[in-house]
Amino acid sequence: MRPRWQIQVLLAVLTRMAFAQPVSFNRDIRPILSDHCFMCHGPDAGHRQANLRLDLAGAGKGFESELLRRVSSHDDGERMPPPGSGKPRLTAQEIDLLRRWVDQGTPWQPFWSFIPPQRPALPATQNSTWPKNAVDRFILARLEREGLKPSPEADKRILIRRVSLDLTGIPPTPAEVEAFAADSSADAYEKVVDRLLASPRYGERMAYRWMEAARYGDSNGYQTDGDRDMWRWRDWVIGAFNRNMPYDRFTIEQLAGDLLPDATLDQKIASGFNRNHRTTGEGGIIPEEYRVEYVADRAQTTATVWMGLTAGCARCHDHKYDPISQKDFYRLFAFFNQIPNERGFVWNYGPEEPFVKAALPEQAQHLAELDARVQALRQNLPKIDGPPRGWKAPRNWTVTQGLVFRQQGKGSYNGDAAEFGYLQPFTYSAWIKPASPDGAILTRLDDYMESQGHGLYLIGGKVRLHVTHRFTDLGLRVETVEPVKLNEWQHVSATYDGKRLASGVRIYVNGEPRETRILFDQNNEPFQKKHTDIRVGEGGGLKFDGGVADARIYNRALTPREAAAIAANGSFAALSKPEQARRDLAYLDLRAPKKIRQGLAAIATAQRERDAYADSIPTVMIMADGAHRDTFVLKRGAYDAPGEKVTPGVPEILPAAHAPRDRLDLARWLVNRANPLTARVTVNRFWQSYFGMGIVKTVDDFGSQGEFPINPALLDWLAVEFMESGWDVKAMQKMIVMSAAYRQSSAVTPELLARDPENRLIARGPRLRLGPEVIRDQALAVSGLLVEKVGGPSVKPYQPPGLWQELAGGKGYEQSKGEGLYRRSLYTFWKRTSPPPYMMNFDSPNREQCAVFENRTNSPLQALDLMNDVTFLEASRKLAGRILAEGGATPEARVEYGYKLLLARPPSAKQKQILLTMEARMVGDFHRDPAAAAQFLKQGDSPAAPGADQAELAAWTSVASLMFNMDEAITKQ
Amino acid sequence: MTRRFFSGLALASLLKGERQQHGLPGLPHFAPKAKRVIYLFQSGGPSQIELFDHKPRLLDFQGQDLPESIRNGQRLTGMSASQSSFPVVPSKFGMERRGQSGAWVGDLLPYTAKIADRLTFIKTVNTEEINHDPAVTMCQTGFRLGGRPSMGAWISYGIGAETEDLPAFCVMISNSGGGQPLYDRLWGSAFLPSRFQGVKFRSGADPVLYLSNPAGLTAERRRTFLDALSELNRSSLDEFGDPEISARISQYEMAFRMQHSVPELTDLSSEPAHTFELYGDDAKKPGTFAANCLLARRLAERGVRFIQLYHRDWDHHGQLPENLPKRCKDVDQASAALVTDLAQRGMLDDTLVIWGGEFGRTVYCQGHLTATDYGRDHHGRCFTMWLAGGGMKPGITYGETDDYSYNIVKDPVHVHDLQATILHCLGIDHKRLTYRFQGRDFRLTDVSGQVVDKVLA
Repeated sequence: MRPRWQIQVLLAVLTRMAFAQPVSFNRDIRPILSDHCFMCHGPDAGHRQANLRLDLAGAGKGFESELLRRVSSHDDGERMPPPGSGKPRLTAQEIDLLRRWVDQGTPWQPFWSFIPPQRPALPATQNSTWPKNAVDRFILARLEREGLKPSPEADKRILIRRVSLDLTGIPPTPAEVEAFAADSSADAYEKVVDRLLASPRYGERMAYRWMEAARYGDSNGYQTDGDRDMWRWRDWVIGAFNRNMPYDRFTIEQLAGDLLPDATLDQKIASGFNRNHRTTGEGGIIPEEYRVEYVADRAQTTATVWMGLTAGCARCHDHKYDPISQKDFYRLFAFFNQIPNERGFVWNYGPEEPFVKAALPEQAQHLAELDARVQALRQNLPKIDGPPRGWKAPRNWTVTQGLVFRQQGKGSYNGDAAEFGYLQPFTYSAWIKPASPDGAILTRLDDYMESQGHGLYLIGGKVRLHVTHRFTDLGLRVETVEPVKLNEWQHVSATYDGKRLASGVRIYVNGEPRETRILFDQNNEPFQKKHTDIRVGEGGGLKFDGGVADARIYNRALTPREAAAIAANGSFAALSKPEQARRDLAYLDLRAPKKIRQGLAAIATAQRERDAYADSIPTVMIMADGAHRDTFVLKRGAYDAPGEKVTPGVPEILPAAHAPRDRLDLARWLVNRANPLTARVTVNRFWQSYFGMGIVKTVDDFGSQGEFPINPALLDWLAVEFMESGWDVKAMQKMIVMSAAYRQSSAVTPELLARDPENRLIARGPRLRLGPEVIRDQALAVSGLLVEKVGGPSVKPYQPPGLWQELAGGKGYEQSKGEGLYRRSLYTFWKRTSPPPYMMNFDSPNREQCAVFENRTNSPLQALDLMNDVTFLEASRKLAGRILAEGGATPEARVEYGYKLLLARPPSAKQKQILLTMEARMVGDFHRDPAAAAQFLKQGDSPAAPGADQAELAAWTSVASLMFNMDEAITKQ
Repeated sequence: MTRRFFSGLALASLLKGERQQHGLPGLPHFAPKAKRVIYLFQSGGPSQIELFDHKPRLLDFQGQDLPESIRNGQRLTGMSASQSSFPVVPSKFGMERRGQSGAWVGDLLPYTAKIADRLTFIKTVNTEEINHDPAVTMCQTGFRLGGRPSMGAWISYGIGAETEDLPAFCVMISNSGGGQPLYDRLWGSAFLPSRFQGVKFRSGADPVLYLSNPAGLTAERRRTFLDALSELNRSSLDEFGDPEISARISQYEMAFRMQHSVPELTDLSSEPAHTFELYGDDAKKPGTFAANCLLARRLAERGVRFIQLYHRDWDHHGQLPENLPKRCKDVDQASAALVTDLAQRGMLDDTLVIWGGEFGRTVYCQGHLTATDYGRDHHGRCFTMWLAGGGMKPGITYGETDDYSYNIVKDPVHVHDLQATILHCLGIDHKRLTYRFQGRDFRLTDVSGQVVDKVLA
């Protein structure tokens, strides 16, 4: 990113270039009007001044002289834009352009990006030998018009490193470089390109930028920022790129895979694209406010990624610059507003509905085996006959499995056995004879109602269970609909399944399940209340008025039959339901044939094993549409200010053969041949990934505040080609990297630099600092540390200790051991409120929201990072080990080898000399100071190379580190 | 040493291209009153009722429900919304008029009370936000959701810093027992280039991430290394002519300078005994708020533009009488010491110090209400902050709230107004410091903000 003034210099240069041609409304005039005038005289009806609109056909007609007079006036009361508007005065060049436009009769054009692209004819060029494909015809035609010449082709070694980094994110090996250098066949380069495109690394490389666009993260992003699992979606993306899934299908499955007929698991996983947004479970929020935020994020992200439109600008009012009304925004919003029962206040930890268990193939198979085993055991279980007539259960038999507390009378008791968190199931039960309708039956909390903990109460005569983290907003409360009887002994029990939801609570009276009512259902924060007494007949600030007996706590949720059994009152006279349940269970426990008892135990064990395994299967949040939810224009964008009701639909300005009605329609509309935006926006992002800037520099804005394409015919040709190729993504990458334009040398002369500092015209090859993920992956690859394995849960490589705790306390970052330290960077765990500092230092987007623009800065923190981060120091040590082991016997040979490993080419004589001098100095130095050498070699977890001379290894480690810090090393050139 | 590093290399002309510490052309927009800002952020929401906003009539209202006419249907946090009653609870702590100005300062802040005449109290700061994450994010980025640059990033983007040896924007988080989490985005650069992000200064071995050379690589060896690196990069520059290479050379130069300037900065051994008398003994313990205040002064002396401190754990939903005094003790002496110290050094005139949280607290009780115990929920409709120094009118109190410290009666100051005012003190017109992202010219104050002229000197 360059400072504004440089952009202005560039614009001035380009404007001068344009002088030779007639003024074009879209290229020259609309940007001026948009930037200075549309704010008050544009599409936003609510803010429009003087009833003047300059964004429509006929703009300027009839008041040409007034327009010119006002923009060039020196009178503050007259001048446009007015001084208080914050908008700058028009420059002399801009005024001149307007004047020439007026002279030409104010010709108008519809906005370029809303017109479907047609394939332009290939332009003629004077030089017919340079172009290698269609891309080059457009580039060269423009260069020739500007009086510029392309640069010579890059050196082969530089070129293979460039294309390897671009297509796979990993530099070529010396063998690959030498094979290419030695291959003089006409298709030598094409063979390299085909090999790279076929590598699984290609999918990882392409997935990385897509993850940024999709705001992928491994945590929820707000406040507590708990973990989530979305990596199965990430792996779907890698696979889709590697299989070269056509971009139209790629689009449909990610936007609406769940709505496809008979959607497969993979297609549902793909729809996770629009569940990657941030979510919050901060206590005290207003859920609907955030639910609206999630829906808006989906709409805005979709608009940015596929349409290049800043739809979010129309959330609070009509768009200031583009013909997108506020209503258009909410019609788009409506497509994404259909998740059934969507909550704004979500789980702080773990997936939020809707989600699927997304077993990997081997997991699915193992689970099926476990299911089959349970099934088989069930089938083999002999028929269970009830107890023989007249058999009586021993009087004192009761359910004892999981019984952790039992007391006959009121009082306070040690509660350590019942220290349950919010994820642990339990059962509370007791006999009660209430004299009044309010009281505490059995509690494990402090003696006031708001206390953290669990409590079984009688309130208003109804049996009530509380699970409380913080009474005001975190916990659950459930009560029976009907009250119990006063002054009569009754048995009450409540079970909780440990799954956080109030619907997992059952309340029984006299062993019968009772209808319940959920009073509160936000059991959203883990807790562990230590050293708290269990109180029988008291707690929560209440006392029990009446009798309480046989209070029990189990560390599991009893089954309905067990809940009945514990309500047996010991009377054998009438065989009540509870007594029947008790008798059946006792019989199974004590007297049933051994085969049955063993069989039941085996089933229980197998079921537990199966359930534990099922719990380990990754989940992924997906999209789903439920019963239609109405959508309203939200006034000022506020969640609580609904206005006009709207139906799902696309912006009116865009062509639509039929009106899309659901997400699937929307996705299909986006990849319809008539859609003017999707293909352009997509190929433009591809272009950016190779040349650093798009053909439209504002890759995220194809509206009137965005840039007019620097080479509109090239953009349209590529867009049409992309669509007509069947949206062939690999073919498009190949088209670009096969061009002569891409293959040029990136060396620049001062003249060319002055003429085109940002290389917009492509009179030279790209020279760009590598992205953070590539810098790290390259270091791992050339040092031999890289562990290549596609997909899987995110890993936690080196990170300075304490960063997470400083912000939020807790356990902090638990660094991986072994191979987790050395996986490619796209697998690094992304905690949104505290992202990996290394990645942020090198301009990674923060993954809070969709990001498609590539930023590249230069900062001292990057220098410190490359010099002192253990990641790079360990890689330096390992690279040094490789150089010593494989690089020959002489320092000269070793320097050359290291250079080839990292930069794919030999050093110049001067570079070699600098490195040799450094090496010689360091060897001597470390020989004199062996303790320092030993310390310096202690970086990282990987084992030291055995047998090496420590001083020599330390010296070469410093040389390797030096090489990793070279500008060339972190640059594709 | 710094000079020697580059003297032989004749890089001066080369380095002119990338003076990252300089701001934008045309900025500041007008003559600044303040050259730098120290923002003492009290995260969690300190109670204005106990600390600044004196409400004697609350004793009469004690235990009564907050009248509907006062609450007036305003939105409540999800926590309050499930409360069945809103009993008014007065402060358990005393408060008196202080100094010549007679500003109200609570007994829990005895040191702040002593410097009341130097401070400008604003009692009517307000925000629509009612929960921590959006409210802190609003204070620091001007928008409730993450994704906008932080105030410090805007300021370093706009006007750079007066040092080339330290970052323009530094952040310190003091150790506290617990409290609401913070988020990197609060000092992030969002869509501004990443070099404008706040650089965190930490209390451990590496005060800035990756600052220290690895064990065994002495400063001398690092010198050899950097000299060689510079030569290598210049050879690349010769070959490719890319100005980015010269920019990189200059960034390594600054990194090297930071390796010297930061340890020198964080080494407090040269501070005389009276410094520690002023700031308190806590200032000797790295990572405390007091130590960070002292570091803030040292950063200010060295030309850092925006110094952001955070102290957590002011979120007193319950047990406020037990916990609020602890937090006050953590910060009171050092906050006052910082202002005094700057004044003694003649730096207060051009240093703007800001003290406050993301919101205040409700007049009604939350949590366990007993004769001695209570808590308060979040309250964004009015809360108190103080400012001191560069550009502010000292010894005044601005804005009035009602008898319940619930609504504003006079002179509201929205968070955006405060931000506009802070930028104004730095010579920046908040409407004109913009950055185009996704087709829109964004600014710190979003679409609003009015400079509060009446608090300006």
